[in-house]
Amino acid sequence: MNLKRIIQALLPFTLVIVVVIFILNIITHGSIQHPGKSSYQTNCAQCHGDNGEGVKVLIPPLKDADFAKNNFDSIPCWLKNGISHPIMVNGVQYDQPMYGLKMDEIQIANVMNYLSKELLNTDKQINSLQVKEILNGCN
Amino acid sequence: MPVYGIKVAVAGADSIDYKLPDFELVDQSGQLINNSSLQNKIFVAEFFFTSCPSICPKMQAEMLRFYEKYKDNPEVLILAFTIDPARDSIAKLNDYAHKLNIESSIWHLLTGNKDSIYALAEHFLVSATEDPDAPGGLVHSGNFILVDKQRRLRGYYDGVNEESVTKLLEETDILLREK
Repeated sequence: MNLKRIIQALLPFTLVIVVVIFILNIITHGSIQHPGKSSYQTNCAQCHGDNGEGVKVLIPPLKDADFAKNNFDSIPCWLKNGISHPIMVNGVQYDQPMYGLKMDEIQIANVMNYLSKELLNTDKQINSLQVKEILNGCN
Repeated sequence: MPVYGIKVAVAGADSIDYKLPDFELVDQSGQLINNSSLQNKIFVAEFFFTSCPSICPKMQAEMLRFYEKYKDNPEVLILAFTIDPARDSIAKLNDYAHKLNIESSIWHLLTGNKDSIYALAEHFLVSATEDPDAPGGLVHSGNFILVDKQRRLRGYYDGVNEESVTKLLEETDILLREK
């Protein structure tokens, strides 16, 4: 029978097939965690929420936030120094101060890439060298 | 459900349960909140401050779940004590309440004498201290404390932990059925 032959022929490659299926599974289901995710949870989620939803008119959302999208390159300085003036996010004004965080350029790059991909749905990506350059220019 | 705190022995009767002492503070609408405001109410208490940069927003997001569930129940209140009364004026608390879109008659944001508030935290068996090294200069417990109609402490929940707050919602229902 044909099927039996095929199975017999594939038998020596069982291990390889299992590994390939495993890797495909990880890729398609996204089981590899984004390197910025844990940093997001540690540094951002406490205020902005696990999914960037914010808290009423107290804390602005990050999810689909026009302010973050339009000022993406300012994010390193916000993370470093905080924001102490009112801002408009998706048409709503927020004035709760944001405090600066102790994050290095690698953590910032990872968390910004996570933010861009998962919450802002943009293609913008940044690396640690670019972050460092921006940080040097912060007030 | 347990009753927290040390029982006090009295002459000629069984020891009595630990109860919160009397207190009197002002809320975000300028209303005086004291023992008579708490009559026939169960409440959940939290310690916070409006400029708190660390755990407070998450705590308030979780407390909003409690608020949404019990806001129409006349037997339930939320008391949020600021540990930064110098900065958290009635106006500041009122502004904060607007940002959270909460009703002042249900969720009282309370301010008053600083020493009384810190002493009250001790009576709730939670911590609140000044620490210049901490973000915002103050440290406090993120606990939500459930208090029954006799002002006895009945439950402690982690205000930044969703599962723990879900347990608070379940145990509040149990407490409301208690006679």
